[in-house]
Amino acid sequence: MPTGLEQSFTILLAMLAFPLSLILTRFFMSFNSARGIFGIDAHKLDKPRIPEMCGAAIPITLLALSAVYGAFYPQHRLMIVAFVLVVGSSALVGAVDDKYRMRGIYKPLLIVLCGMPVVVLGLFFPGEVYNHTLRVPLFGGFNLPIIYPLTIPIAISVTSNTVNMLDPLNGTMAGSVAIVAASLLIGAVLKNSETGPIFLFASLLFASLGFFYFNRYPSRAFAGNVGQLSVGAALGTMVILGRFEIAGIVAMFPHIQNSFFFLSRIKRFVEHRELGAKPTRLSEDGRLVASTDPQSPLTLVRTLLVGRPSSEPEIVSGIFALFLFSSALGLLTLLLTG
Amino acid sequence: MNIMNRKVVSYQVLIFSTQWMLMLIGLGLLSQNIAPAKILDLNFPFGQYFDAGVKALVALFLSVVWLFLWDRQVRVLFYREKPTG
Repeated sequence: MPTGLEQSFTILLAMLAFPLSLILTRFFMSFNSARGIFGIDAHKLDKPRIPEMCGAAIPITLLALSAVYGAFYPQHRLMIVAFVLVVGSSALVGAVDDKYRMRGIYKPLLIVLCGMPVVVLGLFFPGEVYNHTLRVPLFGGFNLPIIYPLTIPIAISVTSNTVNMLDPLNGTMAGSVAIVAASLLIGAVLKNSETGPIFLFASLLFASLGFFYFNRYPSRAFAGNVGQLSVGAALGTMVILGRFEIAGIVAMFPHIQNSFFFLSRIKRFVEHRELGAKPTRLSEDGRLVASTDPQSPLTLVRTLLVGRPSSEPEIVSGIFALFLFSSALGLLTLLLTG
Repeated sequence: MNIMNRKVVSYQVLIFSTQWMLMLIGLGLLSQNIAPAKILDLNFPFGQYFDAGVKALVALFLSVVWLFLWDRQVRVLFYREKPTG
């Protein structure tokens, strides 16, 4: 069990993620603008051009600080290597997708491969990377020596892609992931977890906040797939390495709802830009209105627009409120887990 | 001041709470009843793999039921067809 001093040092180290992510985001805003890497902010009347792929700041921050943490805590080096490989490779997949616009089906498949380092390292070093005993709230747990490793790459692909799917409005992805990471960090500290998970959750929280500063409404930087996929993969890997699987699922309820209802209506993996029927439309007064097209997917944003049109900040407030609630439930789940 | 759609957020909170409780019940069933059960003879060739596979299918079935109930709640609360005429 780590001492209070070790926990404090770990969180202080992770707090460096905030200025680092902030500086890197600012750098990518200039760098990508100079190279014509822009996205259109479709939910504004004047359709401004915003620098894309600035979310690369988050995985770079996570990788840099993980290297520093690994130097201080060699006993967690294996876990950090697994984390770095997953985040680095998923960021690479995201960057390729940003550049070459892959078909929707390739992202989940490629991210499954990105999750393989956790499985392979876990097989070579049993018990040092992940633990195949799934702990469940109230009822102890159960041993899953065969199924658990098989589901790891799928779980990482699901978290990665579901985070990728819930970034339609300014600040949504970074803000929601920061809320989820904060609740899991509080849970890790309260449960006196090892410093490894505390560091990972804290670094994701502060790296997301650094990016959020520029990504919040009105956005001056877009994450791009490079940021969204790597952040989602980081979150999935963290809950597996930290053994917070069930709490992580609960905290991500809004993500799950958004992806499930998207896929259940569309019935295939498809990019938003390829959708025939959009879930929302922009009204003349700049507010968003839910689509009345029965073919359009029932996304979380569309659901939040049921009954009345809303401005972008109003919808984002609703999304954050839902994440605050689901993250509180996730924290409760964690505290109920033995 | 950004005023969110409180009615929708409240319904969503209700759905999340219901799903959370259903999840706890399902996990309890899995950990207390299904996981310890010997569904297939472990002495058969690949017996433990088949046993794990059957239990995984049960877990998958429970997950599908869980998602189905989620789907029904959202459709009933937010996307109910209004009677016409």
